[in-house]
Amino acid sequence: MKTSNIKELLDKIKENPYKTIVVKTPHCGTIEFVVGEGEEVKGPRGKYKEQPGTLLAYLTRENNQKPLYAQERGIISKIYPFQKGDFVEANTPILEIKHYLTKEEVLELILKETLYLFRAPEKGKYYFVPEIDKRIKAKGCQKVKLHPGEEVLILSRMKRETFLPYEGPEGIIYHLYFKPGQSLNAEDILFGVCPPEDLESIKEVVLKVKSEWEEK
Amino acid sequence: MKKHKILVANRGEIALRIMQACLNLGHDFVAVYTEEDKESLHCRFAQEKGGEKSLFKISSYQDANEILAVADYSQATAIHPGYGFFAEDYRFARRVVTRSKPLIFIGPNWKIIKELGDKIQTKRLARKLDVPTVPGSDRPIYDELEAEELARDLFIFQKEQGIEHPVILIKASAGGGGMGIEEVGDMDRFRSVLRRLRNYAQRQFGNDGVLIEQRVFDFNHLEVQIVADRHGQVVHFGTRNCTIQSTGRQKRIEVAPGFYPKTINYAFDAQKVLQDIVKYSLRIAREVKYDNVGTWEWIVSPTGQPFLMEVNTRIQVENGVSAIISRVKGQEVNLIEEQIRLGLGEKLNYSQKDISFQGVGIEYRIIAESPEENFTPWVGTITRFSYPNYPWLQVFSHVPQDKPYEIPTDFDPNLALAIVWGKDLEEAKRHGLKFLEEVVLEGENKKGEKLKSNLNFLKAKTSEILVF
Repeated sequence: MKTSNIKELLDKIKENPYKTIVVKTPHCGTIEFVVGEGEEVKGPRGKYKEQPGTLLAYLTRENNQKPLYAQERGIISKIYPFQKGDFVEANTPILEIKHYLTKEEVLELILKETLYLFRAPEKGKYYFVPEIDKRIKAKGCQKVKLHPGEEVLILSRMKRETFLPYEGPEGIIYHLYFKPGQSLNAEDILFGVCPPEDLESIKEVVLKVKSEWEEK
Repeated sequence: MKKHKILVANRGEIALRIMQACLNLGHDFVAVYTEEDKESLHCRFAQEKGGEKSLFKISSYQDANEILAVADYSQATAIHPGYGFFAEDYRFARRVVTRSKPLIFIGPNWKIIKELGDKIQTKRLARKLDVPTVPGSDRPIYDELEAEELARDLFIFQKEQGIEHPVILIKASAGGGGMGIEEVGDMDRFRSVLRRLRNYAQRQFGNDGVLIEQRVFDFNHLEVQIVADRHGQVVHFGTRNCTIQSTGRQKRIEVAPGFYPKTINYAFDAQKVLQDIVKYSLRIAREVKYDNVGTWEWIVSPTGQPFLMEVNTRIQVENGVSAIISRVKGQEVNLIEEQIRLGLGEKLNYSQKDISFQGVGIEYRIIAESPEENFTPWVGTITRFSYPNYPWLQVFSHVPQDKPYEIPTDFDPNLALAIVWGKDLEEAKRHGLKFLEEVVLEGENKKGEKLKSNLNFLKAKTSEILVF
């Protein structure tokens, strides 16, 4: 991708550098909000993200009070109308956060335009085959080089498993766009691959975004 | 009779049948569903027939905290687990009845589930009671070397029996429903198959223990339906034959009774085999003081030798095929209603001599899959589904008939169960074929390809029913 194109893309993102994060209940329970509309919240901090983000609410189920923390920084733009102690079902939207995009997120958006994207061919849950999974866990995805035809993923659906070969140019797995075991729809992006000859230009893209994007 | 509110901790057609049974018995119910299942008819039924606050969205059918949180909020007094999910989970059953706000578990006592739900424990118990079982391990094996040694012994044992091509089975000890079973015909392949299966078992069941058993060839798969109350009464509702399965050993056609010596010749005394497996099943049920519905699963060798495979301490998918041929004091019976009634503590109020059997029942499992391609599940949207109405036919399905239905990929692609009855085997088969000819099932996937189903497989296999 040319530098000018990257600049264009960056300018476009700068026009609307926010995204709305809808926070949903991970499970059933009674809700109690801790934050209010207009408040600023922070995501997890620390070198290892060991400090949780701002406490948003408590969700209590079977006598266990689960704290719900902000996963990203931003401003609380909407609180859904639940009263303290209301029972909420799983996957119910409870509040919204207006979030200013981070360098990493901008990079992720731009990399989607630059890398070869390997997409889910069908709806289902995806896992890496054990050998690749081990390598990713041990050394990180960027140390894993893929060859066309190599079995890379296991597609699990309806309790059956199918091995999926990688189809695309040879290269390293530059970025993962899914978590193993997550339910995906057909065409969702699984990972982005960078062919060896593009590695230098990708590094330039990364540098450009890092230098040009100012985080708030 | 006290009125109860029963939480139906399941999905699809069994959730529908349980809700209907609750209504028939005069109890209230509450249903649950997950995001992927929102178009299932069980959700619509719950909202239409259960009144306000009868349906709750949960994060997973396999999260006990979700089920119990909904039970408390909706003021349920009992939980029906259906089949699969928590049906044979003794920890769940124990938690339901021992928590600070105890509920009734519609199923056997958790101690019985623990004892019989474990295939290995059952095998040990059966051996103690002189009930025949398949040669092989009677505890889960986690050690590769131990597994290899046992496999080698089983190959030698079969050779000694005169079996020319001995084969062993590696089974995920935590598996079930035909999932997690592989065959090995020689020791050279054993280790690689064992490792693959253990990886699979760890991913799917969270436990990589395996059982190693002799593979009995060309067997028939039979079942005995047991029904017992919490007051010591045990009866049986006859036998079923579930031999017609997919290559992955999942049942596709179930028939009651288990054999039909009136018109089919067997190489052994079929009536005696049926009597024996009923006798053995009752022996175990009485020994453990069984107290709800349950199924004793058997394999019968071509020479008529039965081996107990496992006990399913729950209602089975195929319960209706036993019910359709059974009468209690001349009246029709619904085994799900019986399960609920007895689970809530009522007495059986009849004995074995009050139970009679009439005719033959056949159950077809209609599934979106391609039998030609190793029964691969088909993923897509059902656009048209309808079936005829006959007095000899019952159809259970969660697939809407009035709008398109996208099959969720998180579960088995079962679409419907059809149970037909005939006064004899020939009539039941005729009815079966008539139904299969008249059912309409159409669909399309994202690529525009047409639905694949097992209807033709079911038609072709109808002629083989109960033939051994």
